[in-house]
Amino acid sequence: MHSQRLRRMFNGTLIYIILIAFAFIMLFPFFYMMTTSLKEPKDTFRYPPRLLPREAASAEMEGFEEPVELYHIEVNGEFRPMALVEENIRIGQFADPATPENIITVPLADASATGGTVTIDGNEVDVYMVAVDDEVVELVLMGRTAFGRFIDPDDPSVEALANVRLSEPVESLTLRPENYSEVVELQGMDRSLTNTLMITILVVSGTLFTSLLGGYAFARLRFPGRDKLFLLYLGTIMIPFVVIVTPMYQLMVAIGWVDRMVSLIVPWIFSAYGTFLMRQFFITIPREIEEAATIDGASRWQILWRIFVPAATPALATLGTFTFLYAWNSFFWPLVAINTGNTDNHVLTLSLSILRGRASDSPNLILAGAAIAIIPPMLFFIFGQRFFVESATSSAVKG
Amino acid sequence: MSTMAVESQSSPPRVNNERLLSLAVLWHIVLALGGLVGAVFAWISGESLPIVVRISLTTGLVLLGILSATAVVMIRRRDHRGRVISLFINYLGFVFCVVALMQLLGIFTGLDAFGDTFGRGVVFLATAFIGYLIGAFGDRYNYAAQQRYKRIGRIIIILSAIGFLIAVGIFQGMWAVLSSYDSPMPFALSLGAIIFGCILWVMWRQASAEIFKATNAQKEALEGYLFLSPNLLGFIVFFAGPLLLSLYVSFTNSDAFNTPEFVGLDNYATILDLDFAALSSPNQLASEVLDTTVYDELTRFTILGQSYVVGAQDKLFWTALGNTLLFVLMAVPLSVIPALLLANLLNTKLRGMKVFRAVYFLPSVAAVVGIALVWQWLFNSTIGYINYGITLLTDFLTTNTPLTVDDPQIQWLSQSDTALLAVVLMSSWQWIGFNTVLFLAGLQSIPKVLYEAATVDGAGAWAQFRKITLPLLAPTTFFVMITAVIQAMQVFEQVFILIPGQNPAGPNNSTLTMVLYLYQKGFQRFEQGYASAIAWVLFFLIFGATLVQFRRQRSAGTAYDA
Repeated sequence: MHSQRLRRMFNGTLIYIILIAFAFIMLFPFFYMMTTSLKEPKDTFRYPPRLLPREAASAEMEGFEEPVELYHIEVNGEFRPMALVEENIRIGQFADPATPENIITVPLADASATGGTVTIDGNEVDVYMVAVDDEVVELVLMGRTAFGRFIDPDDPSVEALANVRLSEPVESLTLRPENYSEVVELQGMDRSLTNTLMITILVVSGTLFTSLLGGYAFARLRFPGRDKLFLLYLGTIMIPFVVIVTPMYQLMVAIGWVDRMVSLIVPWIFSAYGTFLMRQFFITIPREIEEAATIDGASRWQILWRIFVPAATPALATLGTFTFLYAWNSFFWPLVAINTGNTDNHVLTLSLSILRGRASDSPNLILAGAAIAIIPPMLFFIFGQRFFVESATSSAVKG
Repeated sequence: MSTMAVESQSSPPRVNNERLLSLAVLWHIVLALGGLVGAVFAWISGESLPIVVRISLTTGLVLLGILSATAVVMIRRRDHRGRVISLFINYLGFVFCVVALMQLLGIFTGLDAFGDTFGRGVVFLATAFIGYLIGAFGDRYNYAAQQRYKRIGRIIIILSAIGFLIAVGIFQGMWAVLSSYDSPMPFALSLGAIIFGCILWVMWRQASAEIFKATNAQKEALEGYLFLSPNLLGFIVFFAGPLLLSLYVSFTNSDAFNTPEFVGLDNYATILDLDFAALSSPNQLASEVLDTTVYDELTRFTILGQSYVVGAQDKLFWTALGNTLLFVLMAVPLSVIPALLLANLLNTKLRGMKVFRAVYFLPSVAAVVGIALVWQWLFNSTIGYINYGITLLTDFLTTNTPLTVDDPQIQWLSQSDTALLAVVLMSSWQWIGFNTVLFLAGLQSIPKVLYEAATVDGAGAWAQFRKITLPLLAPTTFFVMITAVIQAMQVFEQVFILIPGQNPAGPNNSTLTMVLYLYQKGFQRFEQGYASAIAWVLFFLIFGATLVQFRRQRSAGTAYDA
């Protein structure tokens, strides 16, 4: 008994570990997108990469017009934030010819060349007079480097020299929401957003309307050729869109809809899939209900709107979410139908594909753009989760 | 014009039905004559039109004439079929006039202007939604309160709708429409729409149905067609029509510059043409055995010591086909097998499973374009997280185990042997959640009793999975596989965005997929006939793949039943 419970607990833990690992993989790219979209441009190219956006801290100093950047610098064995007041100070790395491992660093300005040379390990090195701890000693120059001069902003008398690149800057977590306004400015993402919103609303309501009527006719009204027509509808669901993309484009050219937003709306509101989905739902509604209504003298139109539509709310929501995603995320057809130069008619996906080339060296801007396109459907998903899952499964289980 | 005058008088409650019907007959006589005369005129003067347009225009007008003439005869005999034909003609005529009028007045293209002002109306959409919420909120109270809330909600919705229309500039739009009534054409179409509409109404009325002694079944059939008509018309114009046209275009050498000519199966022949030749040594030049003015070397292989070379007339097509199949072979298992595992774990009814399900589904709702931009930076070879993760892993292995692993520093997107793999990884990541949800739904429909019985019989978890879960999940697996294969065969956006630089075909054409090739042919080089042929080849491949899986599913199903 005891061992069984232990094993079950172990199994449960293992399951959670696997599930959490996958959840991490699924969420990480979105975290990365969000945090990078709030980073400073400089921060995005740092290696090793860091997830959270950070900004270098700085301090106001007397005698400096701009704020001065702060670094963690070691002074007397402890690290403290120090302001970088001077860069590129030429530094000599000196050593006693007897013990060349013990390097001390002194500004080259504080040393003077004697003109003499010594040979260490086969290399000829120059000899300098260097002031160390108030006494002048003869040392050899092993190498050169550049340091920065740091001052404690609170106590200007404390001074230190250190390699700027190897020092760690003082940083604070900060967000940079300006990325979003910059990308809106750069690529007209606000216009694309309202375009996408308008197109999506029209496509969703149009699809719901035609699918409702068509689904009702297929499910409830008998007319010659109905079943053959329904089979034809079913058969076309499988045909990929790319098969009709060329003649569709030619049709758009012929009727002057190419490069117009209407080409992203009207052809997309007649959905064989939606009709199929609504029909499948309507045939499950018992006939007795509408027979009672017919006896009361209601017309078909009234029956459809008063009885079928309220009953079909879940199916409508499912079809609505499905169509919403399709309209919001579609890319291939807008790419074909809308001219890349006509930015006024761009949808979000199209703007993003152009932004990809225009801001190829600013991940913070590109990912801010991506976030603008990705977040609205995600919010929609979080609120209407049930219907999304339904839309995924209804096609599998009922089809 | 006389029709109009009578129509406007037809408002009194008692209308003379017989006189209205004779009006309809008169209208159909006009249509019959107009159709036949128009057909002759269209055929003679339509020489400048493309032959397809000319033929269909003439046939359409002839049909209109004949149908109208038939309608005249049958309406006079009070035959119900006459009513049907009349309704058919007038409905189509009405729709045609209205749509043509909207097109002419620029209502469709005018939507672009709303793109500019739509942003101003968004606030009103929000208040309309609040109105809806208020209306729905009343449901929790008694009937009287419910009605009150509903009324308030409705008022808010109506006000917001008016506000929305004003904000987006409905008046400017209407003014633009009215001001384009400056030529005879809009007036003619409006008149046509009114006449077609009135005759349609005359024939549809209950009184007419009684005169023609319509049965209930006939009424139902007419209503059925009426309800289906918006859907069916759209389906014909925007799907079935283009589909047939696509087949026709694929038999022509249509491009944007010359008049298309019918070339039969030439496009298909060029696409599929391969040539095999034996080589005397594995390193012999292909030009010695192949006609290199026609064929490019595709690949070479050695069987039983004899080397062969394969040449293809359209090498890029075969490259695209190979890449696409490779993509399917990698991405489908990678997105289906983990999904099966995850679905089984989620089906254990532990706490928080709904949250996990939602998290896994999240990538499926995001736009591929956005996702690909994110992954482009994740795959970045110097600052990307994927290479950073690999570096951390190799460092860990080198310092903590006796192994010495070199950091590979993969140039994911710019190396021909990893670019497609990167696309596979990203796509699988995006598809796993959707498949998981499908599998989970399938798992939940398996009766629990079976597992209980198996546990009693002493079957372990693995045996239960193999003997119960897998067979009973077969229909779901079938559906998931088909969806995944169909989706993977059409991979395009993923490659188009993920692969950096100007050419998404990637290093060495290693990410040239079939749809990408189709896009480049059809919309960058405008060889639309050829592109259509590629599309049909792709369709038959998808169809074939589906058929094969369907067969397998069938046979597996019968094996299980036995």
